[in-house]
Amino acid sequence: MNIFTDWPSYLPELLAGLGVSVQVALLSLAIGIPGGLLLAIGAGSKNKLVRVLIIGVVEIGRGTPALVVLQIFYFGLPASGLTLTSMAASVVALAATTAAYTSEILRGGLQAVPQGETEAAGALGMNRKDTLRFIVIPQGFRVAIPSLIGFAILIFQATSLAYTVALPELLSQAYSIGSTTFNYLSVLLLAGLMYAAITIPASWLTGRAEKRLAQHL
Amino acid sequence: MPPMQEKPLTKPLAIRLDSIAKNYGEHTVLKNVSLTVREGEVTALIGPSGAGKSTLLRCINLLERPDTGCITVEGSRIDAGTNFTTKDLAALRRNVGMVFQSFNLFPHLNVLRNVSIAQERVLGRTRKEADVRSLQLLERVGLADKAKQYPSRCSGGQQQRIAIARALALDPRVMLFDEPTSALDPEVGLEVLAVMKELAAEGMTMVVVTHEMQFARDVSDHLVVMANGAILEEGHPEDIFTDPVQPRTREFLRAVLER
Repeated sequence: MNIFTDWPSYLPELLAGLGVSVQVALLSLAIGIPGGLLLAIGAGSKNKLVRVLIIGVVEIGRGTPALVVLQIFYFGLPASGLTLTSMAASVVALAATTAAYTSEILRGGLQAVPQGETEAAGALGMNRKDTLRFIVIPQGFRVAIPSLIGFAILIFQATSLAYTVALPELLSQAYSIGSTTFNYLSVLLLAGLMYAAITIPASWLTGRAEKRLAQHL
Repeated sequence: MPPMQEKPLTKPLAIRLDSIAKNYGEHTVLKNVSLTVREGEVTALIGPSGAGKSTLLRCINLLERPDTGCITVEGSRIDAGTNFTTKDLAALRRNVGMVFQSFNLFPHLNVLRNVSIAQERVLGRTRKEADVRSLQLLERVGLADKAKQYPSRCSGGQQQRIAIARALALDPRVMLFDEPTSALDPEVGLEVLAVMKELAAEGMTMVVVTHEMQFARDVSDHLVVMANGAILEEGHPEDIFTDPVQPRTREFLRAVLER
């Protein structure tokens, strides 16, 4: 059996692919989570129109598969004159999905902050913006962090969808090695292990984060 | 409403509530309540649960917005029936400190930050200035040694004293207390009452919703008895405690005193 024996020769290309996958995941999260926070805050707006609009955006974002969003950005948008590279399309699509999902996670976190604290801040004369910034968001984020890490793991796995837009990430690299060597089993197995090598330690982190963040709450 | 009678040599008004009304759907919480509080006076609000005491108190700094009525605190006036700006609200709250039954400290900030944060954001003090003032106030409530602790490491009585320091840090001219000792053991409540007595002795204008009859009797200058969303009677605490006019007041006082 040469399942394992060829692994060393696959490694350089696969590691390069893993680098791209990690990059896409980190960029998507770095753009998507702040977006999710804005949506979460907007969903609590006093203006009903704003609220309805945001809930609509979030529901559509959560209801549409990430793969479809990705295809729209890469294959659909050029029809309207906007052409994105496969990297840009992947990041934008996954960031949009991240924003939609994390807005719900963060909204739950923000709502977990007791109303009495918001009242106390108001009674102290703090305006709504300061109350959000110094009281509600720091605590809401802490509550949300374990779920956010869980979601980050899912988004990292979802970067494999970018192989459909020819982005040279981990799965694309494995696939192209497979198509030249016909050793699909071997190379895909290795690729799967490489995904797991990131996701499993990341999920250990969730448990530790939960414990640490429970302090002072 | 008939105008309040002006006694000679009375101090100026700190708070004036005119015909405050509040409904939650079908349920009436406050029925055109009017109340005045003079500078330096301690007013105690007592009465059975559901009388509207806390709601009335929360109307003073508009944590609760009345349906109709006018609120004047230290010259800032808000007509609840009309639209007012956040600037009007900020001006009114600028002079009012509040202490809650459940303390409502910020659990993610240490004690010093709890007392300093609003000074920095609202008064524009630097962190250093705010911390100096905070430490003075913590010293005053006997908790300077807790400055670097988190609220969760403090007892209920300590948390409430920190909450008092936090409110005082903004130099309010009026302090509102919403059942400040109700969540505390009777013994622990005493340390909070001691701080409040000191504050009263220094001439702070205070409005206190309380079930502490001894405090209401000994410390307050003016006693207000509420029931069913209205003021039953008000006057000097000693007069009301010894000879209440209203049968409902008599009934209430008997229930809380003779147990």
